[in-house]
Parts: sequence; C-alpha cells; structure tokens
Amino acid sequence: MATISFDLVSPENLIFNDDVGTIIVPGKDGDLGVLPGHSQVMSSLRPGRVMVYSEDKNLVKSFFVSGGFAEINPEKCIVLAESVVELNSLDKSSIEKEIEELGSKENKESEEQLSIAKAKLEAITVSFYDKI
Amino acid sequence: MPSLKDIKTQINSVGSTKKITSAMKMVAASKLRRSQEKAEAARPYSSRLEEMLSSLASSAASGEGIIKLLTGTGNDQNYIVVPVSADRGLCGGFNSSINRETFKLVKSLEGNGKKVQLMPVGKKSRDFFNRVMKDQIIESFVDLNVSSTGYESALNISNKLQELYFEGKFDKCILVFNKFKSAISQEVTQQQLIPLDVSNSEKEEEKENSSNAIYDYEPDEETILKDLLPKNVSIQIFKVLLESDAGEQGARMAAMDNATRNAGEMIDSLTLKYNRTRQAFITKELIEIISGAESI
Repeated sequence: MATISFDLVSPENLIFNDDVGTIIVPGKDGDLGVLPGHSQVMSSLRPGRVMVYSEDKNLVKSFFVSGGFAEINPEKCIVLAESVVELNSLDKSSIEKEIEELGSKENKESEEQLSIAKAKLEAITVSFYDKI
Repeated sequence: MPSLKDIKTQINSVGSTKKITSAMKMVAASKLRRSQEKAEAARPYSSRLEEMLSSLASSAASGEGIIKLLTGTGNDQNYIVVPVSADRGLCGGFNSSINRETFKLVKSLEGNGKKVQLMPVGKKSRDFFNRVMKDQIIESFVDLNVSSTGYESALNISNKLQELYFEGKFDKCILVFNKFKSAISQEVTQQQLIPLDVSNSEKEEEKENSSNAIYDYEPDEETILKDLLPKNVSIQIFKVLLESDAGEQGARMAAMDNATRNAGEMIDSLTLKYNRTRQAFITKELIEIISGAESI
C-alpha cells in the first residue's frame, strides 16, 4: 500500500514529518480521513484529534490541535495548527480543573478557551478511531 | 601627571570591563544561535500559511468584517506604526536605528496630513517615544522574551491590533523592525501589516496557479479566509519578533566584540604609559642621587 507524507506544523516548530498510511483530521464540518491519493482539499479545522496511522492501520501517534488548517493533495497532507499537544500527555483531572476555572469567568476570551478545553476533554475520553 | 597608582587602578578597571564585555559577547553568541534556531523552526509554518493565503487571496475582491484585513478600510488617513526594538541596550545602534527610522516615518506621514499613532514593542522604543511623542502612544508591549514565551507574545500584540482595527481606530499598520541579514548585520525594514500587502504574495500566486490544480475548500473559501487572515497577522508579528530577537543578539555580539577589542587596546596603551611613568620616576630618582653625590 502506498504512503502519504504528513507534516504537522505549529508556529514554533515542525512537530511531525513522516510518510504514513492514514491520517484523520478534525475538519470544521466533520472529520476527514486522508489516504494516499486523496483529492486536493483545503480545510479549516476545529479543536480535536489528529490521528496518525501506519500503513498497516496501526495507530502511530495522536495529537490534540486547537484548530488550524489542513492542506491535502494526493501525495502530501499538511496540518497547520496553532497549538499541538500529544494526546497521551494530557491529564484528565487538570483539564477538568481548567474547565471549572474558565467556566466561572465570563468574557469572550475565556469562552474560547473553554470550548478548546472541552474539546480536549472529549478528545481524551472518546476512544473511536483508536482502531480503524 | 597621574601617579603610578592612578594608572594601575585605571588598568584594572578597564581589565574588568573587558572581562564583562567578553562574557556578554559569549552569552550573546550562544543566544544568537538559539534565536536563529527558533526563527528557522518557525519558517515552515509561516511559508505554508503564506502559500495558502496567496492561493485564496484572489477569491476575496471586497468584503466586510474580517476580510477587511486583506482589502483595507478604503481609507488611508489613520496610521499605526509599530516599532520593534529590544528590551535591553548595549547592542550598538540596534535600538537607536529603529527609533530614528520610526521617528522619520512618523514625521513624513504627518507631513502628508495623516494621523499617526504608535504602539512600541520593547522597552527601548517605548522609553524613547515616551519622551518625544508621549500622547501618540496608545499601547506598548515590553518584556516579551519571545525566545522563551514563544507564540503567545505575538498573539497578544496581534489581538490588540485587530481589536483596534475593527473598532476603526486605524486604517493602516506599519511595522518597523530590524531584519536579520547575518550575524553581524541587520537592516531596518518597514513592513505593512494591515491591510495585507499582497504585492509580494502575488508573485507566489502566479506560481501557485500554474503549478497546482484547483483545491476543494471546506467549508468554503470565505470561511477559511476568515480563519486564515487573523492567524496570518499573528504569524507575521511572530516572525518579526523572532527576527528582531536574533538581530538583537547579533548586534550585541558585534558591539561587545568591538568593546572587548577596544578595551584590549586601551589596556595596551595604559600599560605603556604605566611603564614610561615608572621609568621616568626611576630616572628622576637616579638623577637626584647622582647630583646629590656630586655636590658632596
């Protein structure tokens, strides 16, 4: 099976750069599964999980991104994300605490952070896509 | 004529200054390497973003809301100038050239009847413009430490700018910063940030159009553009901050290298003077003894 080259880039550095089998990115209107030979798409992303699989469909890495953009063409998939964390480095209790703190504040900025934190919590609790 | 002791003290003090400057040079050199790495690491993101933007820019001829970041307000009466300087001194002409250039820019804009406001970044330009144009400063950002805090610092500035822009406080935003050319040379550069200067991305656009087939956009071009434009402002600022940071370290390294060399030269000449004075003193004593002995 063919591979597709995948770049995950944050403003500070290049986080992931390798040939992989499949990537799932959280598109604004729904998740996109990207396989080699995908048509050319440019999509903006919502906060959520970016899942990277090897050629034989094993999960290689999973990240949480707080939004950004994806540029996909048949040979290459590039995700530009503003903040990227590896999913298994997230801690459930600290996120819950963050949500609680943010929930008590009321301004536009904290609302945005709150929605990101909620998406984070969802990202670590759900388990679909763990196997494809 | 200074006494021997005076010269000795002077030599010692120049010697300790030399030690400090050479230590600062070493520190600046290692910081420079780190800043350069940071600037290097940020490049893939910003170049990708620019590419995406240029392929989208054509789709927005005019519009309201966020698209204004690209198309402008249609006016050019009110300017905001953002000088980006360092927080610390002792880096040669790094800060003063920024301040001078900004001052000139502001004066020439005002000469054309425009209204100019300032938003200095970095202590050195804030302090300068606090002295000369205090009432034109609307906001200032100091102690950014872009190499340690990273993207966050750029985000603050960009959020503030966009807030002011959408309140209609200004029509055009110009950054004045030191572009990092090499470790020893920086170039004062002006860059128009808002509305986005498409003149240089247009070229890329042509390239893009010829080499790439048409993309599908999800959800649609306008939504992506709306997400992309504010991010582009932040990333441009981030890039400028990183360049300026690297430039600062480079300028400091060069300045401290010079200072160390000058201190060395000064020590040499002082040592020469010290030896001469000592010799003169000995000769004088000898003459006194001999003439004393002769008179007996």
